[in-house]
Amino acid sequence: MLKYSIRRILQSLVTVFIVITVVFLLMRLLPVEGYFTERVDKLTPEQQEAILRKFGLLDPWYIQLKNFYASLLKGDLGNSIIYRPNVPVVDVLRPKIPYSFGFGIASLVLSLVVGLAMGVHMAKEKGRFWDKVWTSFVVFINAVPAAVYLLFIQLYLTHITKLPILFSKDSFVSCILPTISMSLGGAAGYAMWMRRYMVDELNKDYIKLARAKGMPNKDIMVRHVMRNAFVPMAQYLPSSVLFTISGSIYIESLYSIPGMGGLLVDVIQRQDNTLVQALVLIYSVLGIFGLFLGDILMAVFDPRIRLEKEGGAR
Amino acid sequence: MTTRKEQHAITAIEDDSLFTFAHYDPEAAERTGYSDYSYWGSTIRIFLKNKTAVFLLILMASLVLFTIIQPYLPNQKDPNKIHIDPETGYQLRNHSPDGEFWFGTNVIGQDLWARIWSGTRTSLLIAILVGIWEVVFGIFIGAVWGYVRQLDALITEIYNVINNIPNTILLMLLAYIMRPSFKTMVIAMCLTGWLGMARFVRNQIVIIRDREYNLASRCLGTPTHRIIIKNVLPYLVSVIVMRIALSIPGTIGWEVFLTYIGLGLPLETPSLGNLLNEGRRVMMSSSLRYQLLFPAAVLSVITVSFYVLGNAFADAADPRNHY
Amino acid sequence: MKEPILSIRDLVVKFNLRGQILTAIRGASLDLYQGETLAIVGESGAGKSVLTKTWNGMLDPNGWVESGSIMFESEDLAKFTTEDQWLTVRGKKIAMVFQDPMTALNPLKTVGKQIQETLELHQDISGEAAKERTIGILSQVGISEPEMRYSQYPHEFSGGMRQRVVIAITVACNPRILICDEPTTALDVTIQAQILELIRELQAELGTTLVYITHDLGVVANVADRVAVMYAGEIIEYGTVEEIFYDPRHPYTWALLSSLPQLGIKGEPLYSIKGTPPNLFNEIEGDAFAPRNPHALKIDFVKQPPFFQVSPTHFAKTWLLDPRAPKVEPPPIVQAMQSKYKEYAI
Repeated sequence: MLKYSIRRILQSLVTVFIVITVVFLLMRLLPVEGYFTERVDKLTPEQQEAILRKFGLLDPWYIQLKNFYASLLKGDLGNSIIYRPNVPVVDVLRPKIPYSFGFGIASLVLSLVVGLAMGVHMAKEKGRFWDKVWTSFVVFINAVPAAVYLLFIQLYLTHITKLPILFSKDSFVSCILPTISMSLGGAAGYAMWMRRYMVDELNKDYIKLARAKGMPNKDIMVRHVMRNAFVPMAQYLPSSVLFTISGSIYIESLYSIPGMGGLLVDVIQRQDNTLVQALVLIYSVLGIFGLFLGDILMAVFDPRIRLEKEGGAR
Repeated sequence: MTTRKEQHAITAIEDDSLFTFAHYDPEAAERTGYSDYSYWGSTIRIFLKNKTAVFLLILMASLVLFTIIQPYLPNQKDPNKIHIDPETGYQLRNHSPDGEFWFGTNVIGQDLWARIWSGTRTSLLIAILVGIWEVVFGIFIGAVWGYVRQLDALITEIYNVINNIPNTILLMLLAYIMRPSFKTMVIAMCLTGWLGMARFVRNQIVIIRDREYNLASRCLGTPTHRIIIKNVLPYLVSVIVMRIALSIPGTIGWEVFLTYIGLGLPLETPSLGNLLNEGRRVMMSSSLRYQLLFPAAVLSVITVSFYVLGNAFADAADPRNHY
Repeated sequence: MKEPILSIRDLVVKFNLRGQILTAIRGASLDLYQGETLAIVGESGAGKSVLTKTWNGMLDPNGWVESGSIMFESEDLAKFTTEDQWLTVRGKKIAMVFQDPMTALNPLKTVGKQIQETLELHQDISGEAAKERTIGILSQVGISEPEMRYSQYPHEFSGGMRQRVVIAITVACNPRILICDEPTTALDVTIQAQILELIRELQAELGTTLVYITHDLGVVANVADRVAVMYAGEIIEYGTVEEIFYDPRHPYTWALLSSLPQLGIKGEPLYSIKGTPPNLFNEIEGDAFAPRNPHALKIDFVKQPPFFQVSPTHFAKTWLLDPRAPKVEPPPIVQAMQSKYKEYAI
């Protein structure tokens, strides 16, 4: 187990290194206007040059890279330029993260619970009425772009249920609709996965053996099938958790939630390059970290992975 | 068990002449084993049995056909033309659907019917272009990845890097850097879209190369090209069709997303994403809601249809479902 | 004659395959006696597994018992419909060992847990007591260092050892009938012998009635007291193992025995039966084996033969045993066996 973890950490670090460098180089392609607080035409070429020099943008790329890593290691992601001039990036982000994370976790839990239950029901009722009903739901959510159905949910559901349209800190009920909306995509995904997995597993030999030895169906479902189904899913859970930080762009803008989701869109539109760079970096690293955690989690549940290096008897 | 007496009772009825040898034909015995199974025949047959899929196939074919010929039909208006009310001389803004403007007009007075079909054309075009690229480039890279062992590590690392940066961010960045336009959108989505196909093809090739039935074919002396055509290709073709069908709703989804955050196509080029955004601006007023409903309806029908078609084809092409 | 513990009469089993009905068992009848070892032989697809699956409700969901009866402990298993009914039988009274040990165990659970589950299900023990019992069972089936093995996972065991674990699971609760569905087909020949020996020992200790399903006549000769031969969904001949090997009466059994390659004899052409078993989607008229039978009579194509008695323990379903049928010489290999038998006969 330890060997496996170390191997994965090293792999992830290599990928992180490459990704950061790639992101960094990509950032150099950003429009130059993003570094100026005032309109480009208002500045003389000398002034533009001076500002760019201050940011170190005129240095050769390897010097820039070195400086970049140096400040990264100090925890300095730079200051925002346009969005909140001269405010350190970390201070811009700090108040926003709890919102995104909070909604994200809530909807993740909801989508897991609802999705898995739906998937189990679909597998049990395979081919019959409820299977078709849930399948239509899943198909709709998967096929139609989220922007479309989220819009309609906000439009019509608030009308019907009289729930508040916009989020406000003091009102708990205003959290309900955004959370439910956010959980739909995940629920559909988990449902489909669970259904497919259960249908496949139910035909496996070890399930037949469990039946033959006299285990009631319910016990088989819980102790063998669902537990086994969970393992491959565990791989993606940490990533899902970490991604909640990035926030849902649609939901947050539709319901005016002051989270991270809208931030990236905002800063891209306003061309605040430092923030863009910082955000891209954070999300990428989070992604890699999430995958790494997922692999470790999988190894915890699936003995075949962690024991493969220690040589089991064959 | 039947007793001796019962046996006699049964057999006594029989005609004694039947107890002579019948003619034994070994060839006839062999004939019972013939199977006239055809992979594509079965695939098509099972697909056609799925009434929903057939219906949607006809629907989509008609729709695509319609979007192509629509501009040439009589009485069609230009999607960008701003219509003036002859009586008042003002722009025909927010005119509800009626006999002349089947889908009504939008906030500047443009014919929504024409805009929707123009938008569908654009969005479908993007989706199909990206889909074809995904398949062509994806298969090519995947094949090289799988066959050429020396490149395996390199391509794997490239794949990991691109895969680890969330698609949303990549697309946003690329659109941001290259400035939003039709070309940008196609290029950006092509850059991220080939990953899935490439990985899949690579895995298949690695597995198939050493799979037993292919080894068996090689042992029998089957030439490589025949192995590829008869063993590998049928599987790949069905996957290709399925992936193109499924990538269409995906690409349209990304287009809507990018448009939503302002990195989509410029307003002069109607697209389903644009129309959706325009409609969103006026959706709070129920009399104007049609401007949102029509694009949303068309979007939903197209995406759901292709999704269902893709899955239906995948199911039909799976030999485990054949009989 | 002893009373059978399991009695099957005219069993008909059908399957619904995408709208088409397949008759997998077309009227099978069989008796099973306490403590014996019965071997059911036949080609793939003859219905051997399906037959035994009706005894513990393990038929695939698209299959059902159409008619006939299966009497076991004064209950008709053919009439069982609910899960709860089957749970009184499965594992506890009738247990099954499957063919492929590599996939028969849950890869994500320890071996010990999987055996213990059976104990906890059917006997009133749990916790430490159950664990001790499990370790005891592990050594009973010949697994060394059982305490360590208890916490190991299936992939840490070889094929033969996994099969031992599967056997451990099945005998943990001392069932009356143990069905072994080709338990050694997936194993090496040397391991095969060990497993067969293990099962034999367990039978001697526990007094279980064994039913072997196999297409390997070598295994049959090794373990069986009685043999039932199946073809196209019916039992066409049954008797003691000596009777079947040395005095077979059904042309199919002749063909089966002739197909056995003879060790040590070179130069003789290998015998094979022409054709393939009939399509069970169709109604079959007469004797199912007739089209492939070189000794077929005209009546074989017209009417299905009943069981004809050869001895109180030996019956065969062939018109050749009817007094009106012409005398037929069995194939040379069978004749050789018959003369050998007469030499050794008491």
